[in-house]
Amino acid sequence: MPAHKVTLEFNDKVVRQFLIATLVWGLVGMLVGLLVASQLNFWQLNFKNELLSFGRLRPLHTNAVIFAFVGNMMFAGIYYSTQRLVKARLASDFLSALHFWGWQAIIVAAAITLPLGLTRGKEYAELIWPINIAVAFIWVVFGVNFFWTLARRREPSLYVAIWFYIATIITVAMLYIVNHLSLPTSFTHSYPLFGGVQDALVQWWYGHNAVAFFLTTPILGIMYYFIPKAAERPVYSYRLSVIHFWSLVFLYIWAGPHHLLNTSLPAWLQTLGMTFSLMLWAPSWGGMLNGLLTLRGAWHKLRTDPVLKFMAAAVTFYGMATFEGPLLSIRSVNALGHYTDWIIGHVHLGALGWNGFMAAGMIYWLLPRLWNKPLYSVSLANVHFWIGTVGILLYVAAMWTSGIMQGLMLNATSDGGTALAYPNFLDTVNSIRPMMLMRVIGGGLYLTGFAIMGWNFWKTVRGAQPVNGTIEVFDEVPDTTHPAVPAGRRIGVLATFINPPVLFTFLAIGFACAWMFGNHLLSIAGLIGSILCVILAYAHFESRGKSWANWYDRLLVNTAPFTILTFIAVFAGGLIQIIPTVMVHRAANVEDRKQIPYTPLELAGRDMYVREGCYTCHSQMIRTLVPDVLRYGDYSRLGESIYDHPYQWGSKRNGPDLARVGGKYLNIWHLRHMEDPRSVSPGSNMPTYPGLFANNTDVAILPTKLSVQRTLGVPYPQWTDAEITERVNTQATAIAQDLRAAGAYVGPEKEIVAMIAYLQTLGRSESTVKPAKATVSAD
Amino acid sequence: MFRRLVFENSATFFTIAAFVTALSIYLMIAWRAMRMKRPQVERFENLPFETETPAAIGFGPQAAPGPVSAQNRHARSNRRRNSSS
Repeated sequence: MPAHKVTLEFNDKVVRQFLIATLVWGLVGMLVGLLVASQLNFWQLNFKNELLSFGRLRPLHTNAVIFAFVGNMMFAGIYYSTQRLVKARLASDFLSALHFWGWQAIIVAAAITLPLGLTRGKEYAELIWPINIAVAFIWVVFGVNFFWTLARRREPSLYVAIWFYIATIITVAMLYIVNHLSLPTSFTHSYPLFGGVQDALVQWWYGHNAVAFFLTTPILGIMYYFIPKAAERPVYSYRLSVIHFWSLVFLYIWAGPHHLLNTSLPAWLQTLGMTFSLMLWAPSWGGMLNGLLTLRGAWHKLRTDPVLKFMAAAVTFYGMATFEGPLLSIRSVNALGHYTDWIIGHVHLGALGWNGFMAAGMIYWLLPRLWNKPLYSVSLANVHFWIGTVGILLYVAAMWTSGIMQGLMLNATSDGGTALAYPNFLDTVNSIRPMMLMRVIGGGLYLTGFAIMGWNFWKTVRGAQPVNGTIEVFDEVPDTTHPAVPAGRRIGVLATFINPPVLFTFLAIGFACAWMFGNHLLSIAGLIGSILCVILAYAHFESRGKSWANWYDRLLVNTAPFTILTFIAVFAGGLIQIIPTVMVHRAANVEDRKQIPYTPLELAGRDMYVREGCYTCHSQMIRTLVPDVLRYGDYSRLGESIYDHPYQWGSKRNGPDLARVGGKYLNIWHLRHMEDPRSVSPGSNMPTYPGLFANNTDVAILPTKLSVQRTLGVPYPQWTDAEITERVNTQATAIAQDLRAAGAYVGPEKEIVAMIAYLQTLGRSESTVKPAKATVSAD
Repeated sequence: MFRRLVFENSATFFTIAAFVTALSIYLMIAWRAMRMKRPQVERFENLPFETETPAAIGFGPQAAPGPVSAQNRHARSNRRRNSSS
């Protein structure tokens, strides 16, 4: 049958929709960011209203920027470039529309629930379980639409950008599902399946790779498409891009534990996280250089073209952020930087510089193409660039200075290391106030630049005719005679696994596991098998190297096998970290100290602690560092948070650690502190919590919550509802009476009583060490 | 068995094994990428340019609308025809 030409029209409507959403949610997310940054300077901006307090708005800011701003930008870039790279229209208009509107509905739901205090209490994973299900569903819709489009492609080869998109889709799905596994207690509340160290590890496996596979890999794909297009020349080195992809995918997934350095996490996991983070330097900088060198011969265009200006700066910021990340993952550097503003500076270098500027470059490039109208003002785009750059530099410089000062002050000791140089935590808070203010100015400048882009966007598209791109293609099977397309190109499911490279890899991993996990005999067999496997693989490769090469070439044009093997690569990294820790996390395995389960009232108080987002400012993890121990007490043990669902180790200390705050202050101190923090801690920037004094503790839900906790493995007895109520009343009345004796009149049913009960129990544990029996000799 | 993974120093072997595995894969991929044939590399690196992405020309108020390709006009007129029928 003779081939004939057909005109293919791309679905650019959904790209335009995602672009507009990027702009709108970017403005919202950054505006909330500016507010929360200001709240740290001026506590009055919490407006004595929990709905607007720092602890509830900070998750709104992070979720809005990550999932709403970068999410929408990423979908726009992926849909635009994929259609053109594979020469196929998006597979389904319905799925595209469902993806867009479903994602916006999720964002709106998040914007409503987070200020209401409906949260799971884990960073970047705060959304409640019904929204989690919606996210997973819409992500599947996205995946189906994407892979269906690949299946209908007219271009057999998969450009490296598509590889990055594939890795993003499958890895984010895996991470999101595992970290959001929960048992609901109501329609708006649930407890995570994992607790304590398990939860911490799973959370940062997810949290770190949310940065890797949501904020980095899709944007790298976008970089590999849009920079060559904007510079009108191919990527500097396609070979380097191949190395960049595989090494990044293999390494990134292992680096999560660097968020838990110097904590009670097992040492081998900390070393693992640090090692792989340091290894990330190579692929990250390889990718960065590849992006920058693509501009070779086109540097003069930067003077006039705002698109290239933004993209070149974005890639530079990517290089800076990915240099700083591994640096902060060195355990000794982390001892200084962790829990301080340095981390905030690092994160914003990536978010504002890399993500924000790539988004701006992409938007300026797409506007004249999607609406067929020239950009309204290139001058405004240039103003945006310079205001944004100055904003980033101010922001980051302020946070670096602030973070290092915080770290140095909090870690400083005197008297030969036996006393703290600055024992009052507020000393550091007051010292960094100028830097916190400079951050607001920097963030404000960046937001102003973004708003200018919004104005430019509006003036460009107003009255313009939206245009969908088209392409003429031959209605026939793809060209398989091209030298780039290997003969017999289809792999098939069986051959995905039954081929020398994959078989040898699986065998080697199997033998290595037997060696490491097996008993004596199995361990020896595993060792011998591993050595034999390596020798045989080498011999086979030497004699039949062509079959290995042919298989790899075919892999590059086969979507399904490529996706399956990429998934295995990222899955293995997670599995090796998480499985051993999940298995050991049993009360029977805990040494030294074991947490005592919370009383029903304390559990209610803990849920309030999570609801108010206290973890955004207070950690509950005393690190194995002398200054931490001097300041907060004995270092935290794994067993001391074994029943915490979710864990609350935290990642930032705007206020002091609370792991052992129980019993440190009187009940009345806590009451005054929640009522007006400055009355007991002059200079504090903590919000007030009037709601805790106005609202009653929800006792009716406690039986369900305790039942779910029991299911999760917390050893609660089978109390009846009446027994639970009785226990709550007894403990609450005792606290209320104590407060009354100190001059404060609060009803035992008020939430503040439950909160005090929780705070006073922090640090309570029982010893698992059996006392040695003394034996007396007869003689 | 698992107890030793947390508390024994021998568990640091995991880090070494993971490092060696990752390094082997890295070297393998690097070797493979370096041996890619020139036509194959050229084919891949030019994929973004196989589909034209015409833009409106220039910047500012003096700029002209971009060249809407014949196919694009055709597609739009088809859409109009379909919607009117």
